[in-house]
Amino acid sequence: MFVGIDVGGTYTDAVLLENGRVLATAKVPTEVNLINVLTKALDTIVKDENKDRIKRIVFSTTIITNLIAERRYEDVDVLIIPGPGLSHGFYKTMPYAHIVSGAIDYRGREVIPLKEQEIETVLQEIARRGTNKVGVVGKFSPRNTIHEKKVSEIVKNKYPQWQIELGAKIGSQLNFPRRIVTTYLTCATREPYQSFIESIRQTLDSREIHAEIFILKADGGTTPLQRSGEFPVETIFSGPAASTLGVQALIGPDETAVVVDIGGTTTDLALILSGQPLLSSKGARVMGQLTQVRTLAVKSVAIGGDSVLDLREREINIHNQRKGPAYCLEGPVPTPTDALRALGLIELGDKKKAIKAMELLGRDLNITAEQTAEQVINKVVDSITGEIKKMFLEWEQEPAYRVWEILHRHTLKPTMVAGVGGGAAGFSPLIAKNLGCRSAMLHHASVANAIGAALAKPTLQVNLRADTEQGYYIIQEEGHQEKISDRKFNEKRALELAKNSLLKRALQYGLKPAAEEIEIINREVFNMVRGWDTTGRLYDITVQTPRGISARVGAGE
Amino acid sequence: MDRSKKTGLIFFPAFDWAITPTHPEREERLLYTRDQIFEEGIMDLPQIREYKPSLAGIHDIARLHFCVPTVEKQTTEAHLIAAGAAILLSDKIINGEIKNGFALVRPPGHHAMRVVRGNRGFCNINNEAVMVDHLRSRYGLKRIAIVDTDVHHGDGTQDVFWHDPDVLFISFHQDGRTIFPGTGYTYELGGPRAYARTINIPLQPGAADQDFLYLMDHLILPIIKDFKPDFIVNSAGQDNHYTDPLGSMQITARGYAQLTEKLRPDLAVLEGGYAIETALPYVNMAIILALAGLDYSSVEEPGYRPGDIKAVPGMAGEIERLVDELLQRWEMRDRVSPDTSKISGHYYTRNKRIFYDTDHIDERQTEKLRLCNNCPGYLVIDSDAKHGYGRSGRALCISVPHEACSKCRAEAAELYGDSKKDLGYDYIYLQDKHDDVFYSYNMGSHHEWHSEG
Ligand SMILES: [Zn+2]
Ligand SMILES: [Zn+2]
Ligand SMILES: [Zn+2]
Repeated sequence: MFVGIDVGGTYTDAVLLENGRVLATAKVPTEVNLINVLTKALDTIVKDENKDRIKRIVFSTTIITNLIAERRYEDVDVLIIPGPGLSHGFYKTMPYAHIVSGAIDYRGREVIPLKEQEIETVLQEIARRGTNKVGVVGKFSPRNTIHEKKVSEIVKNKYPQWQIELGAKIGSQLNFPRRIVTTYLTCATREPYQSFIESIRQTLDSREIHAEIFILKADGGTTPLQRSGEFPVETIFSGPAASTLGVQALIGPDETAVVVDIGGTTTDLALILSGQPLLSSKGARVMGQLTQVRTLAVKSVAIGGDSVLDLREREINIHNQRKGPAYCLEGPVPTPTDALRALGLIELGDKKKAIKAMELLGRDLNITAEQTAEQVINKVVDSITGEIKKMFLEWEQEPAYRVWEILHRHTLKPTMVAGVGGGAAGFSPLIAKNLGCRSAMLHHASVANAIGAALAKPTLQVNLRADTEQGYYIIQEEGHQEKISDRKFNEKRALELAKNSLLKRALQYGLKPAAEEIEIINREVFNMVRGWDTTGRLYDITVQTPRGISARVGAGE
Repeated sequence: MDRSKKTGLIFFPAFDWAITPTHPEREERLLYTRDQIFEEGIMDLPQIREYKPSLAGIHDIARLHFCVPTVEKQTTEAHLIAAGAAILLSDKIINGEIKNGFALVRPPGHHAMRVVRGNRGFCNINNEAVMVDHLRSRYGLKRIAIVDTDVHHGDGTQDVFWHDPDVLFISFHQDGRTIFPGTGYTYELGGPRAYARTINIPLQPGAADQDFLYLMDHLILPIIKDFKPDFIVNSAGQDNHYTDPLGSMQITARGYAQLTEKLRPDLAVLEGGYAIETALPYVNMAIILALAGLDYSSVEEPGYRPGDIKAVPGMAGEIERLVDELLQRWEMRDRVSPDTSKISGHYYTRNKRIFYDTDHIDERQTEKLRLCNNCPGYLVIDSDAKHGYGRSGRALCISVPHEACSKCRAEAAELYGDSKKDLGYDYIYLQDKHDDVFYSYNMGSHHEWHSEG
């Protein structure tokens, strides 16, 4: 038996699965005392089942995302080493960043050394302000961690009690500003995340459940609870991933589906292309800033079932705010939910009130309540369809850097719209009609998120970079350079090293993937030619354990 | 130019394309540039918008080049993508989506001439020229200026626009006596109907930032101001950099940025530049920042110290003399009568010998311009080439310009029809830019092919 629990801002959903069947579901309001919430949800689904039969429990949550949005965390400072390049004025948008001297280039060569005195002065200033969480991030640090490590040593010497995070380990891709933001968020969320983990532990202990515990990540993979503290940012945006995986479990394996999750004031859109959830080509965006967190491509549109509607200059407007539930559910103002109810497209709330709401809204247009409701619905459907088309276009237009990628990027059309979330019921058939595909209201759509969590599989990545001219290789996740002594070092060897490192890490995470299952998702080999001679090779290799879900849930639609 | 708009960028390093594995034009060329601009987060800046390139169509190429025997035989997909990138950005600029653009693409193109029989100076297809002809056909743009800041003479671009009074081509470069392709002297000034619309500024080795900036302020910008172009293109070669292995000049990354900032091109297109580690990451980044109106003053090559670059004695005086000479030519542009020894009947003739260094092809051309009082006149090129011990086909190429009068167009069409009976040729081509059609006829197979825009 598998358990999935998705802790959302308003509700916590839970589901118990066995052999692709949903045995029980629960939906409880989320409250401040997380242990209460988790216990309630768990008790509802487990009831008197034999707890020892629960093999795996997966949690996903948005509570830490919300905590960041509301800035409920302690101060963080980040020492950054930008060196020459983009003007240092650019980093003024990051008020927590302190610039120190030093530079490493793209091959990992030191260009400008650190100045210890300068670092100590910055640290004193930070200490004076009472911060005890610092990040250290260097430009090109994934190519050489020496500067970050040196600064970290200084910090550990002077302020042994401080929490310190190094950029290269947190953001190993090439993007310094995103690495800074990701490191900052890691510093900020480490403590709150620990208390989230603690709540989970206490809940499970109190119920004597000894299953394997995993946390869902933003990219749709999971990580074991005991290791999840290493990169908490990977796990804090997992809410939208959960519902996307849930849909993936409920539909056919080759379907190209649009996941439409209509909530109170926002609609989350995600794409499943030929059965695989689409990953964002950029990292997760947090408070308007890009990070290096791998995430599914999710787009949020500011329209929901409870969005406030009004009339301005004879034009119906949908506002980016909520004043309460729909009018038909005793709310204060007309909403899209009322429009659906007025036309009988959903069975929620009082129909008479819904019609009244539409009359109020359309009064100055001299049209009937039905006509008003139709206008509202067309408006909502048109904007959401427009955003969906844009997502497909953006996917097609993603830059590519190789000839074959330009020639082989095909276009895809959606085959289905899968509605999840409370508001989707009435809208998804209309959105599907607009897109020219079919619509599916999935059987367990209201807990698709928890289903997605329950079925997510652990994923691990390893990035290797080797520079044979300089004679070293580095596995980013391990964080240290190794010498290449073998003159015959080649692509096969580089792949072997990456795969071995992945298998070793997988074991630490309690996973046992077969070597042949390992996916190579990036394989770059460049000859370095100086004059007319090849002087070395650069290898960039990324391998991962297979992505996907562990089972499908039968009879979905 | 609307300052609130973004700078469009197409980065196409063609990581899977090379002339040969150790050729300077190989997969690795833009690798470190990629590392630099990705690590700096350039693509995430609100002032930048990155586009995915699209392929140029066969007709886009045929509108400009006479590819012998066919466009397909002279291009790979990489060429179509590089030219397509320039075209796509030019569209976005004209429709107002972006304020300017940079096609950071390879392979380069400025040594590719009107007739293409192979690869010269690493180029097959002239990306900028193809884009310029696209702008004129699609949008009716009239006056275009191309400024070539590569260390090599942009002889391909010069050849294409030699007779065109509406395209101003200015190239500065290392003196042809000391570097490929050996041309680009001050006396190369354009055809009889386009005098001084070609301006060449050959420089002695060692010219540095201040020298180029002086040229920009005192020669290039004043000429552009007089010419009043609708669109400015920069053939942005980066081999004038002080670390370039092929060139012997001393521009810095910041110097390139300053030149860009002064020139304010609508579209920059990457040309050469083979200091792939020491120059390209920094020069490309500096040019992007300058185009986007961002501060580039912190961009610096590793180990660069301002004192390292020494002014060459006599350089400043030499450059002042060049500026004076070329400004005089420019002033005379509408009062110079063509060399009568080259005119016979209604035609102005020049003979050319073109060597394709990469492919070892030796081409001879007789180019005749039909002198017309009502239009710039059409062009007839008789081209023959030796490839090793064999010939690679004699071709007659007829090109009718955008502004051609109806009489010239009719005459050119007649010549095309008549030439199809002339057994002396292997291929006959007709480009009518006015009607945007292209015809080619293969004498061996009697097959005619035609395309239109
Ligand atoms: Zn030049
Ligand atoms: Zn060049
Ligand atoms: Zn004429």
